[in-house]
Amino acid sequence: MITAAAFYIFAFVLIAAATMVVTSRNPVHSVLFLILAFFNAAALMLIAGAEFLAMILVIVYVGAVAVLFLFVVMMLDIDFARLREGFQRYLPIGGVVGLILLLELALVIGTWTTATEASDLRLAPNPGGGVSNTKALGQILYTDYVYLFQIAGLVLLVAMIGAIVLTHRRRPGTKRQDVAAQIARSGSVNLEQVPTGVGIGELGIRRPTLPEAPKPKQVEHADHHGGHH
Amino acid sequence: MNWTLALPEIALACAGLVILLVGVIPGRNTFFGCTMAVIGALLLAAVLVLGQPEGTALGGLYVADAFSGFMKILALLGAALGLVLALDFNRRESLDRFEFPVLALFATTGMMVMVSANDLMAVYMGLELLSLPLYVIAAFDRDNGRSAEAGLKYFVLGALASGLLLYGVSLVYGFAGTTNFDRLADVFSGNGGVPAGVVVGLVFVVAGLIFKVSAVPFHMWTPDVYEGAPTPVTAFFAAAPKVAAVALLARVLLGPFGDLAAQWQQVIILASLGSMLLGAFAAVGQRNIKRLMAYSSIGHVGYALMGLAVVSDEGLRGLAIYMLIYMLMNIGTFAILVGMRRRGRAVERIEDLAGLGGTDLGRALWMTVFMFSMAGIPPLAGFFGKLYVFLAAVQGGFWTLAVVGVLTSVVSAYYYLRIVKVMFFDEAPAEGGLDATTPGLAAVTATTGIFNLVFCLYPAPLLLAAGLAAAALLG
Amino acid sequence: MDGFLSTPVGILAITVAQTLALLVPVLIAVAYLTLAERKVLAAMQMRKGPNVVGPFGLLQPFADAGKMLMKETIIPSGSSRLLFIMAPMLTFLLAMIAWAVIPVQDGWAIADINVGILYLFAISSLGVYGIIIAGWASNSKYAFLGALRSAAQMVSYEVSMGFVIVTVILCVGSQNLSDIVRAQENVWFFIPLFPMFIIFFVSTLAETNRAPFDLPEGESELVAGFFVEYSSMSFALFFLGEYANMILMSALTTILFLGGWHPPIHAEPFTWIPGFVWFALKICLCLFVFIWVRATFPRYRYDQLMRLGWKVFLPFSLLWLVITAAVLKLTGWLPA
Repeated sequence: MITAAAFYIFAFVLIAAATMVVTSRNPVHSVLFLILAFFNAAALMLIAGAEFLAMILVIVYVGAVAVLFLFVVMMLDIDFARLREGFQRYLPIGGVVGLILLLELALVIGTWTTATEASDLRLAPNPGGGVSNTKALGQILYTDYVYLFQIAGLVLLVAMIGAIVLTHRRRPGTKRQDVAAQIARSGSVNLEQVPTGVGIGELGIRRPTLPEAPKPKQVEHADHHGGHH
Repeated sequence: MNWTLALPEIALACAGLVILLVGVIPGRNTFFGCTMAVIGALLLAAVLVLGQPEGTALGGLYVADAFSGFMKILALLGAALGLVLALDFNRRESLDRFEFPVLALFATTGMMVMVSANDLMAVYMGLELLSLPLYVIAAFDRDNGRSAEAGLKYFVLGALASGLLLYGVSLVYGFAGTTNFDRLADVFSGNGGVPAGVVVGLVFVVAGLIFKVSAVPFHMWTPDVYEGAPTPVTAFFAAAPKVAAVALLARVLLGPFGDLAAQWQQVIILASLGSMLLGAFAAVGQRNIKRLMAYSSIGHVGYALMGLAVVSDEGLRGLAIYMLIYMLMNIGTFAILVGMRRRGRAVERIEDLAGLGGTDLGRALWMTVFMFSMAGIPPLAGFFGKLYVFLAAVQGGFWTLAVVGVLTSVVSAYYYLRIVKVMFFDEAPAEGGLDATTPGLAAVTATTGIFNLVFCLYPAPLLLAAGLAAAALLG
Repeated sequence: MDGFLSTPVGILAITVAQTLALLVPVLIAVAYLTLAERKVLAAMQMRKGPNVVGPFGLLQPFADAGKMLMKETIIPSGSSRLLFIMAPMLTFLLAMIAWAVIPVQDGWAIADINVGILYLFAISSLGVYGIIIAGWASNSKYAFLGALRSAAQMVSYEVSMGFVIVTVILCVGSQNLSDIVRAQENVWFFIPLFPMFIIFFVSTLAETNRAPFDLPEGESELVAGFFVEYSSMSFALFFLGEYANMILMSALTTILFLGGWHPPIHAEPFTWIPGFVWFALKICLCLFVFIWVRATFPRYRYDQLMRLGWKVFLPFSLLWLVITAAVLKLTGWLPA
């Protein structure tokens, strides 16, 4: 009973959020609704017993992909008036294409038949025999479909190369930091025990004596209050 | 698992990773070395394909047969020749970054995956692995507005086509319950009709694939992309990926959907007719030679699809042989177009060829050979390519296709011959003739040119190979 | 009584009681963590720290809370009102609900779920939304810049954190947090996986936006970053959320690497102390290091931060993951 109630709540929020993604006027709100929709979809997966998939959906889509999406949408200065400019003009042709697709879809659904074993397969994401669904997914991804998995890896690699090729520029004149050289430097910073309760008046600024560095002038000492130590 | 069957793809992908790694390390430019290494890897893969046994592997996702072997050799050859064309051009236009050959290599891997696909999922993955590098190299001249536009246009429309394909695939999967080609063929071979969902899905799949071969009505990206992309990239586009996409279309339609030929035949016939007509008439008014080549390639795809539309052994053999000849004609023509420079600057208008007969007779003659071959004038190779598909159409009783094919050949001969006329009978412009070509380009021109000339003398082995390939698919 | 406890209402009551039993100590810990931080920092800088309110300043957190509550809530004009109010709630909520799966002792977890570690990772990856929404909804440049920085930082460090977690899962063979702790009965994972332990700890610093990675809220450049426009209780919620996250991350470190509720040695004097006390002590140790790091290191520059995440931690954790997998496979220690 609780499961059913949870299902209807999540399903309702999911559909409402999905509708808002399309209808909301502000694209940032659209993305936020999209995130809400992802979240509810993950909850539905949990109810169906696909806990691994649910968590991965949240981690990958909500935690990483949608963040970047939100970034782009927030930083792009989208002009809504211009976005809607062509709407009236393209409405007839777009409407016709949409109508045809809708009719086709109706045609397709009209011939829909449900396989006899479908109701048994529903809500049974595990192959059975005590295999957790992480293991079951791993079996499919890394054993049965390893070929496609590797190709998907190559596609992502290509996307990465493409992004670098098309955007990376080596600008002349930039000064780069050599972290290794910086860390390897030693002897320029020393820790010193200073007596407590003594003011700077008695103590003066204490600096390590560097052989090649010129002695700082006394005038400058007055401005610094020893804050660097 | 039997993964060793996919050795050519695995070897090629691994070679790509190694070349990427080696190319990125040294501080100096590794473009030349990487290109050479990639060409070597492509040839190695071709050798592996030749030695490949037949069969299915990797859980039924991968199939190797005579058809895949034939088409893979074509694709590998086309990719390798395309890279040779890029060597000098990219250096002069400061596009000589080592990622270029690496991306081309991954695209070629995608082509091989497509050609060997035995599952709708493998089809999609191969297609994406092919397309993504192509989007990038179309925009490779990123500071050039036209190149960036070409890349973006190709990307947006390509993504739309992928969406159509995926939608179709999901419908087919939903109604058939499997994505594996053999099992799909089993499902559809039974008597009794197929559900409407499968037919709708099939239409979407065909639409997605027709986009990739740039046939009418999904051709509109071709002229802009061909014109905007750097010339060697256009050469690459026109050769290898087209072969792979046509091969994939043939495999998908004749493999799992072979028994539904009645459903898809008219679609292919219409696409073929439309492509031939558009290729013939739209190219007439073009001034930019790359745009002209784009329309020409649309027309050629129309002829090739004729071989598919007739659904027969002869038709498929004609298609295989047509793709071989088309690819070599195109590479040869582009070898000349890539070398079109005046005072160091690349030029790409038809008028820029004026007077080439006077300044560089050798090149003008080779160009004439290619143009005659494209127009289908005997005894050049292009004539035979058309001959076999027309023959198959006539034998199958598809008179409309054959007649339209002949008529559009005549129309297209006009613009091919116009180029010859410009080269030999127009005055060279005042600023002088074209710069001398480079040895690499000259070698490619000569090799492909000789092929076009001597194909008529001894076509038997290639015909035999194409026949075997066709038989493997129609089985 | 048994009858009542097995009815839905009874189950609900038990869950509420369990939740309160966990969250109330967590909230008190958050309050005293703020005090502890000020005291420890003061000691390290040879100051005294808060010592006026109550004995040794022990009532200081409540004085602070009272002050926060009294202040006026200001909602900037031009801000996205609803989101502006929601953001701190979200941050605080996420820091709280993550505790549902934390096992403080063997069998003492409110929800001992199969994919506990993934749940924690998912919740911590959601934390970025509180920040990014706050930055955007404030309609202020500084807040937005801070939010962008912080979101980029959190997303970047999550990647290597993910690899560390995968390595631990590989050694355990389960994603259940209790199982992970049980697997460390003899050897705590920070010994065999020492480099991953370091990477994980540094990543948690970045994930919680703590020094030396606190540049999203760098006072000197961004005037406190994403919550510059917040005041009163909404500010307090961010503050509480941040400190609750610190405790949560310390708990996670304890579970993954420091043996959770296990005593250092399973021998007489150590086993007298109950497991949850060990757990709390280990969390305190981690928190002390958090504060110690803040007192010691200067703030990273943005490019240095990104470089460390992407060019050092990511390749290294990936490599170590492969090495771990190879070693487990070759020695046959790979759990079934």
